[in-house]
Amino acid sequence: MRKSRATAAIGLSVVTGLALSACAGGASDGTVTLQMVESLTNPARTEVLKSLIADFEAENPKITVELISPPTDQADQKITQMLQSGSGVDVLEVRDITVGPFSTNGWLDDMSGELEDWAGWDDLTDNATKYAKGEDGKVYYVPYGFYGLSLFYRTDLVKDAGFDGPPASWEDLLEQASAIQDPSKNQFGYAFRGGTNANSNVVAAIEAYVADDLDTENAFKLKNGDTIFSAPEALDALNTYFDIFAEASPPSSVAWGYPEMVEGFSNGSTAFLLQDPEVIATVEQSEAITAEQWSTAPLLTGPTGKAAQPMATAGWGTAASSEHKAEAAKLIEFLSEDKQATTFAQENSLVPIVKSAAESDFYKTGPWASYVTMNENPDTYLSVTQPRGSSWWTEWIQKSDSEIQQVLIGQLTPEQLLEGWDEYWTEKWKSE
Amino acid sequence: MIDKETSRAKAVKFLFLGLWLVITVFPLYWIVVTSFKKPGAIFSYPLTYWPEVFSIENYLGLFAKAQFGTYVVNSLIVATVAAVIATFISMLSAYVLARFEFRSKGAILLAFLATQMIPSFIALGPLYLLMTQLKLVDNRFGLILIYIAVCIPFCTVMLRGFFENIPDALEEAAMIDGCSRFGALFRVLVPVLKPGIVAAFIFNFVNCWNELFLSVTLINSDANKTIPTALNGFITSYNIDWGSMSAAAVLTIIPTMVLFAFASRYIVQGLTAGAVKG
Amino acid sequence: MTTTTDEAGRGQQLATPTPPAGPSRTAGGHRRRTFTVRRGFGLLGFLAPAFIFVAIFIYYPMIAGSQMAFRNWNLANLTDTSWVGFGNFLAVFADPAFGKVVLNTVVWVVASIVPQFVIGFGIALWLRRKFRFRGLYQAMIFFPWAISGFLIGILFRWMFNSEFGVINDLLQKVGLIDTPIPWLADPNTAMFAVIVANVWYGVTFFAIMILAALQSVPEDLFEAAALDGAGKARMLFQITIPYIRTTLALTVLLRVIWIFNFPDIIYGMTGGGPANQTHILTTWMIATTQRGDYGRASAIGLIVVAILLVFTAFYLLSMREKKVKA
Repeated sequence: MRKSRATAAIGLSVVTGLALSACAGGASDGTVTLQMVESLTNPARTEVLKSLIADFEAENPKITVELISPPTDQADQKITQMLQSGSGVDVLEVRDITVGPFSTNGWLDDMSGELEDWAGWDDLTDNATKYAKGEDGKVYYVPYGFYGLSLFYRTDLVKDAGFDGPPASWEDLLEQASAIQDPSKNQFGYAFRGGTNANSNVVAAIEAYVADDLDTENAFKLKNGDTIFSAPEALDALNTYFDIFAEASPPSSVAWGYPEMVEGFSNGSTAFLLQDPEVIATVEQSEAITAEQWSTAPLLTGPTGKAAQPMATAGWGTAASSEHKAEAAKLIEFLSEDKQATTFAQENSLVPIVKSAAESDFYKTGPWASYVTMNENPDTYLSVTQPRGSSWWTEWIQKSDSEIQQVLIGQLTPEQLLEGWDEYWTEKWKSE
Repeated sequence: MIDKETSRAKAVKFLFLGLWLVITVFPLYWIVVTSFKKPGAIFSYPLTYWPEVFSIENYLGLFAKAQFGTYVVNSLIVATVAAVIATFISMLSAYVLARFEFRSKGAILLAFLATQMIPSFIALGPLYLLMTQLKLVDNRFGLILIYIAVCIPFCTVMLRGFFENIPDALEEAAMIDGCSRFGALFRVLVPVLKPGIVAAFIFNFVNCWNELFLSVTLINSDANKTIPTALNGFITSYNIDWGSMSAAAVLTIIPTMVLFAFASRYIVQGLTAGAVKG
Repeated sequence: MTTTTDEAGRGQQLATPTPPAGPSRTAGGHRRRTFTVRRGFGLLGFLAPAFIFVAIFIYYPMIAGSQMAFRNWNLANLTDTSWVGFGNFLAVFADPAFGKVVLNTVVWVVASIVPQFVIGFGIALWLRRKFRFRGLYQAMIFFPWAISGFLIGILFRWMFNSEFGVINDLLQKVGLIDTPIPWLADPNTAMFAVIVANVWYGVTFFAIMILAALQSVPEDLFEAAALDGAGKARMLFQITIPYIRTTLALTVLLRVIWIFNFPDIIYGMTGGGPANQTHILTTWMIATTQRGDYGRASAIGLIVVAILLVFTAFYLLSMREKKVKA
């Protein structure tokens, strides 16, 4: 019994010790501590961000930045808790799909006041300014870069199959991928996306097919106001797209999400991959395929020779509950200036937000060349905005992903799929 | 020993145990092999069951890129302290629930069991607010408090089961000898129950060691992070860093394996000679 | 001494539910009352720490959070969180996926727990007797428990990967299959695959619990039974199992609750796919939180609690009846 008391006493003292040590810190000498939380966390990016923050702290000795990097899968939940509790966060990563809900709930500060005199506005690309200022001029976030699709392809396999160059259209892709596919050798044509976010590529295909009639400001709408899913061309798009799955993709790709697709391409088993530019860095590290064996090509076009490039973006914003809004704005300005913005975009393989970066050699050579091609031909590669800010966007993602899988396993026809989607968006817009 | 095993029974036994060992260990083997492959070689095809080049790059990276040492220390502190305290508290309540009859007993047990049925996300919002008010966000002590609470119900229910397997006569004898209830519990029952208590401690420890959801929500800074948060950090929306993750997983498994190896002696130790001759 | 007399003895001694029944052997008329008061406080003292922790850190937040289930609580717009009564629950019941998800949950629980129990019991029985390297063996087979559920999920997702997964590769090398099986792409094999992962993970728990319980079965009992000429199977069913019945019953109950509530593996392996075919209630709930509908997700959560409470009540009642019969 005496012994157990001793154990309890030791336990208690350990606990008190921890409590005391944890309470240390917190200063009142005029320095400000900013809590900054990221959402699309990945270790390499966190490193880049930390080094930029260190530069910022060196320039602003009175400001300390504490970077919080939750695992990306849990990040949104955590950020929501922080914002709801109104404490613990000053600067946060805001994405095009979270800005709607966050601002509706009054969690984001409109930074237009703080950033009014910022000299950096002039250096931003048109797209960056457009997304930063929103429709009503409120600045809820400043983008740090853009994501956009391009086609990764295997130069050697395409050549061996007797083709002169990469596919330009979805039809070309079907033809080339089918020719390359040979399951007995574990060689597949296309790294098909059937799992999480399957909808993004399906929609990209549909948009390419209806590009002539597309409302670029809301790329789920046709110019006549109907949904893109109601167009007869949409069914052609789906038929080609699902043929690519049936004839030229690994059967298990029904369940493939991002990591499987990227691995499928970088381990050499698939010849084509439609992905964001961050994949460039991953594929460059591959030991299965060498730099000579792959390259990128512009986004695939529809029958009329056009493609729609959906812009996706994210950036930095300030929490409405922050008590250090001026300092927060200072940090965001710093991160969005020429040098820092370029570093961040290059290190993370993003389409940059500043004009000067787009002119650098980095973005003109190698795998990036296809992005330049797309930028230089805006009439062929339309830059479009999808309704990613809708409050029902995440609901749509889940619904559409699940229904695409239903088509893939034969529970739903493409016709039913389109009909359902047309109804869904028509309803949503009506009730808006 | 009267019931000797026949050699056929023995053969069946070891065949079965051996088969299960292979099934169990294979994924572990796979993680270990992956952790020693060069980052680029992990997805080479055809699959290689042995690294062509042994590389400790993944391990070095863990300590260079992430403060893995800090996470290990944090996890060790949090899981050990929480598991010790939770086991002790649960022992007290389990004892009462096993040895006494009172009207609300069924309700108490059900209330404990019910905690295992509640999805934690429901409680997360209010819990976060509570911890904010207590100034225990981003604090290992705060995490320990919650882990204790999370461990207690299951641990109590489990230990109660073990207590009930022990005849009353044992402690009654002790009490006649002049021990208090408390004394009877610790001098007589605890030694007899060592296997159960050690098992309970291990479960508590492992549950805390692996807990991700609360840890991610309540811990912010690198200095206070625990291993599961760090492990999960290798999954990004773009990629899964298999090399680093396998290396981290191997390092994570080692302490628990050591604990098992150490504790399994107690789990199978059996009753102390003469303890239950009654 | 056997369990039955033991139970009966305790039952007699503590027949009356309220304090007045002190240990009859030591307490006499006048002394009994004071002892009782002291005992009452003693009981409370033993239970208090557990109560306090659970009340503050589990029940308070959980009850406070449950209100979301009765409100229009959607992260997409929290400016209007009005009360909607049972609206969220009705929406869950009306969802076309609900029936399938409940069915999946039952399959997931039953098909996981039966093999876990059988294999775990077998291992525990066989490990009861000492053999060389038993300690090492134990440490090795206990290792699945040392990994978190989410890690197991993604680990098995890669092992079950059709083109570059190790499971198909091994099956092909052994010659069991000719072409790779797309495990996670087909609803039937996907459910099978997640259950395999769960069985692999959960056997350890049964093995440890049962092994620990077996240690409390006195060797004398076996010896006595062996003298009677009892066969192996009879010994197992008539001595071993009755003796550790409480532990077995509780272990099964706890596992049912846990597996019911254990989304990690499915979440990591299939995310409920393909086409929602492997969703169980809790993964479905996660999917619902991910689109921000916390109200409806909480409703699913409370439905889970309700189902499990009812199950537990019936389970415990049936256990008690058996006890009385014994």
